[in-house]
Amino acid sequence: MGKLTIGTFSSLVGSLSLDFAVKLAEAAVKKGHKVDFWMSGNATMLAKKGQKAFKDYSFLAKTIQDLIATGNFQICACEACAEARGYHKEDCPDGFIRKSMDWYLASTFDADRVLHIGGD
Amino acid sequence: MATTKLAFIVRSLPYKTEASRLALTHAIASQTVEIYLKDGDLVEASVSYVGDGVLNCMKGQQGMKHYGITTIEGHAKNSLLLDMRVLICKEDLDKFGLTEDNILMDAEDIGGETKANIVAYSEIQKEMETASHILVC
Amino acid sequence: MKLAVLMSDYRNGIDMIDRLSADSLGIVFVGNGVYHAATKEGGKASSLLDKKANFYALTEDFETRGITSAGLDSRVKAVTYGDLVDVIFNDYEKVIWL
Repeated sequence: MGKLTIGTFSSLVGSLSLDFAVKLAEAAVKKGHKVDFWMSGNATMLAKKGQKAFKDYSFLAKTIQDLIATGNFQICACEACAEARGYHKEDCPDGFIRKSMDWYLASTFDADRVLHIGGD
Repeated sequence: MATTKLAFIVRSLPYKTEASRLALTHAIASQTVEIYLKDGDLVEASVSYVGDGVLNCMKGQQGMKHYGITTIEGHAKNSLLLDMRVLICKEDLDKFGLTEDNILMDAEDIGGETKANIVAYSEIQKEMETASHILVC
Repeated sequence: MKLAVLMSDYRNGIDMIDRLSADSLGIVFVGNGVYHAATKEGGKASSLLDKKANFYALTEDFETRGITSAGLDSRVKAVTYGDLVDVIFNDYEKVIWL
C-alpha cells in the first residue's frame, strides 16, 4: 500500500474541489493507503470546528472525523493561513494538526503520489 | 540520503486568487523542511512560470502601497535570494511583449546571487519530467 | 513520464494540456472538466479528446451534472473515486490538477 499526499487551497464552500479532495482521500484510505491532507489558503476553512450541516453547503466534518479515526489519515492546516482568517488553535477540530508549510513539503518526501489542488 | 524534487508550476494570474502567492510561499518553505527529515534527506523546490503565470514576474509591483500586502515580486525575489531554481517561459513572455527589462530577474539589491532563467517551454517540460512531483498553481 | 492530469475545468487549462508531453498520458475529467467528456459545442466533441491519451471521467461528477455514462464520448471510460485511486497509484507516476 502507498502514501498519497493531497494539498489543497480550495475553500470548503464554493467549488466542490475540497469535497473532491476529501472523497479521494476517503477512497484511498478505504483501499488501505495512507493519506496526508494539507490545507492552506481558503482550504483552512475546513479546520474550524462547529460547522453545521445544511443541504446547500458542503459538510465534510463527519467524513474527516471518520478518516482520522482510521489511523491512516493525517490532516493539517497551514497555521498562518488559519490565523489570518481568525481560526485559532482553540477553534481547530479534534485530531487536526496546525503547522507551517514545511509540514506539507516534508510529507511529499516519502509520498508515492502527490496531488496538489492549487486553486479553487 | 535522498532528495525529493518538487516542481511548482505557476500558471495563475496574481492577486485575485492566492494561488501564485501560495506557490511561492510553499516553495520557499522547502528551506526549512529538514526539521522533519532525517539528516541528509532533502526536499528541493523549483518554480516555473508559464502561460498567464509569467505576469507574476513583472517588476514594480505596488501591492504594499495600495493594499498593505507583500507583493508577489517580493516573494519571487526571496525565492532567488534563497538560490531557488526559477524558470520563466520565453514563449509566454514573448506573447505578452515582455523582456528581461520588465520582469524580476535577480535579487541583487538584497544580496542574492542567483538569477531567474528565461527558457523555452521545452526546458520547463524537462523540469517537470525530472521532478518527483509536480504542483500546479 | 507517466502523467495523469485531473482536468477540473471546461474553459481553462486546455492550453496547459496542449503543451504537455508524456510517454503515457491520462486525462481524468473531474468537476466541470466532465463537460469535455460529453458535450458537443457546435456539434463537435472537445478537442482534448483528439489527444493521444487515455480518458476517464469521474462518475460522481458527471452524474452530479445530469450526464449519464451513456452520454459519454466512446473514448472516455467512467471511473469511480475508488477506480481513480487505482489509476493514480497503478497507471501513472505523477498527477496534476488543472
